[in-house]
Amino acid sequence: MFRELQFPKHQSYLRDWSNLEDWTNLKKMNLNMDLGMGLSNLGGPKEYDVIIVGGGPGGASAAIYTARADLRTLVIDKGLTAGALGITAKISNYPGVPGPIAGADLVEIMRRQAESFGAEFLTDKVVGVDLSSHPKMVMAGTDTFHAKAIILATGSMGRTNTVKGEAELLGRGVSYCATCDGAFFRDKPVAVIGNNDEAIEEALFLTKFASRIHLLVPTPAFKARQVLTDEITHHPNVTIQMGVRLKEIVGEDQVEGVRIQPRGGEETVLPVNGAFVYLQGGQPITDYLMGQVETTEAGCLSVDAEMQTSVPGLYAIGDLLCSHIKQAVVAAADGVIAAVAVDKFIHGRNKIQTDWK
Amino acid sequence: MALLQEADRKVLKEKFAELKNPVKMVVFTQEMECQYCKETRQLAEEVAELSDMITLEVYDFVKHQEIAEEYNVDKIPATIIMTGGDDPKDYGIRFYGIPSGYEFSSIIEDIMMVAGGETGLGAEMKAWAAALDKPVHLQVFVTPTCPYCPRAVLMGHQLAMESDMITADMVEAIEFPHLSNKYAVQGVPRTVINETIHMEGAAPEPMLLAKLKQAA
Ligand SMILES: Cc1cc2nc3c(=O)[nH]c(=O)nc-3n(C[C@H](O)[C@H](O)[C@H](O)COP(=O)(O)OP(=O)(O)OC[C@H]3O[C@@H](n4cnc5c(N)ncnc54)[C@H](O)[C@@H]3O)c2cc1C
Repeated sequence: MFRELQFPKHQSYLRDWSNLEDWTNLKKMNLNMDLGMGLSNLGGPKEYDVIIVGGGPGGASAAIYTARADLRTLVIDKGLTAGALGITAKISNYPGVPGPIAGADLVEIMRRQAESFGAEFLTDKVVGVDLSSHPKMVMAGTDTFHAKAIILATGSMGRTNTVKGEAELLGRGVSYCATCDGAFFRDKPVAVIGNNDEAIEEALFLTKFASRIHLLVPTPAFKARQVLTDEITHHPNVTIQMGVRLKEIVGEDQVEGVRIQPRGGEETVLPVNGAFVYLQGGQPITDYLMGQVETTEAGCLSVDAEMQTSVPGLYAIGDLLCSHIKQAVVAAADGVIAAVAVDKFIHGRNKIQTDWK
Repeated sequence: MALLQEADRKVLKEKFAELKNPVKMVVFTQEMECQYCKETRQLAEEVAELSDMITLEVYDFVKHQEIAEEYNVDKIPATIIMTGGDDPKDYGIRFYGIPSGYEFSSIIEDIMMVAGGETGLGAEMKAWAAALDKPVHLQVFVTPTCPYCPRAVLMGHQLAMESDMITADMVEAIEFPHLSNKYAVQGVPRTVINETIHMEGAAPEPMLLAKLKQAA
């Protein structure tokens, strides 16, 4: 299983903090509980041979091979249901696994296989990389790691476009991190836009501060775990609207409202002071590269036959690559190709442990 | 009641065994202690206890006004991490507000950095810092529950240590609402450079460098 951080981003803090009355208490809790949080990482080494960003079929398969080749391997993934295979209800065409099997279960099997060979997994979101440093640096929410090589396997569930006003009002009421920014919205109404685990968890966190949370769900139904949907549906401070499109974030210097359109309905502006956006789409997820690697206009990375990008030691695989067939087995195969290339890159050899000899 | 748990104490003790040079923590508080002044002081005391290499000086912001001015400290609680021993040096590393939650690790990282005497910044950033001839002031706004914030704070403090021209403050946004208002902080981390340039988020060095060049 994934190594649990003491303060996992998308998990237990909702439970731990559920009795908190106000910010003071929250901070007191931080004093008592969270001081050790960053510390768990201080002691241990943070250097890896290879870091794999994204633990879907692509990343997990790469990890199986790099770990078996004795490369110190860390996989950082933001959540089981955040990737394409993770949200697939049933899959029956993965060779060797007749199924039908839930996509999330198949991913779990692959991850456990990689773990059995020594790969480490961390549940966290990668927010940045520094490719100019040696070794390369990967910044996740809770810590920073170094690696000789990086494999990008974040898939293509990214948003296609931001809406009008979103970029302009970032940090002025637009936020992507409720735990970071929730305290600025004490006793104010906010909107949370999204349908997945992350959106619901962040909305639940905001109930500690905001006077009212409008959860605006773009689809007719949630795509999240039942425990979460149950909890949010019954929360007295949360108003849920299903099947609404976010059209614009409205405001001069700060967020004043969100323009939304219900399915088949009229556009309206919902007055809120904060807009927390957790939408997904079909775009390759490359935001954390912060423009350090060239992409095409469509946001696609280019790789060579060994899955290496234009940056030596940086590889990209799976759905992240626009040119590839979007199937789990293809992502897995990409991962293996990249793993062999990483081994060669690090050890200057062109072989990886194989079973059939 | 102790703020640091026994397990954390143990981790820190091991970590501090690596300290090669003396580090001084300076804390400014007040007799009528401000919100979180008491906890900030207590936290510093508990950290300093863990190593002979760490000394702590606590001052009263009102009674020791000249010392506060000497250190250029204008609000409390304030924590300074600097080189201690016979040849003390203040780099301009400041924490305003309690370094709790995720920011506690920033204090520890700073102690390790100051004792190690090396910032670990990249060559380009170092070259820029070495060539600076005007002062640069960074204010990194944070909340204790922000996992991305220590990265931004640390980079500010690395810069402060790198150049005598640079000072860098962590500012806990909720404890200083007037500053949060002044700089329109509604999201963290937000770095304000020389009052004028803003940066959202924890960016890698090349991006921060581009912003710094705009400011100075
Ligand atoms: C509804 C649906 C049905 C499908 N059905 C089939 C099918 O029947 N058979 C088949 O073969 N294929 C199917 N596919 C396609 C298949 O799911 C994908 O091709 C495959 O999952 C791609 O794998 P990947 O590892 O590249 O990306 P993903 O599976 O998308 O995994 C990406 C991973 O990256 C993580 N991630 C993203 N951003 C970050 C970040 N910043 N930090 C940390 N982690 C991050 C995510 O958490 C995720 O786990 C289906 C896809 C969908 C959407």
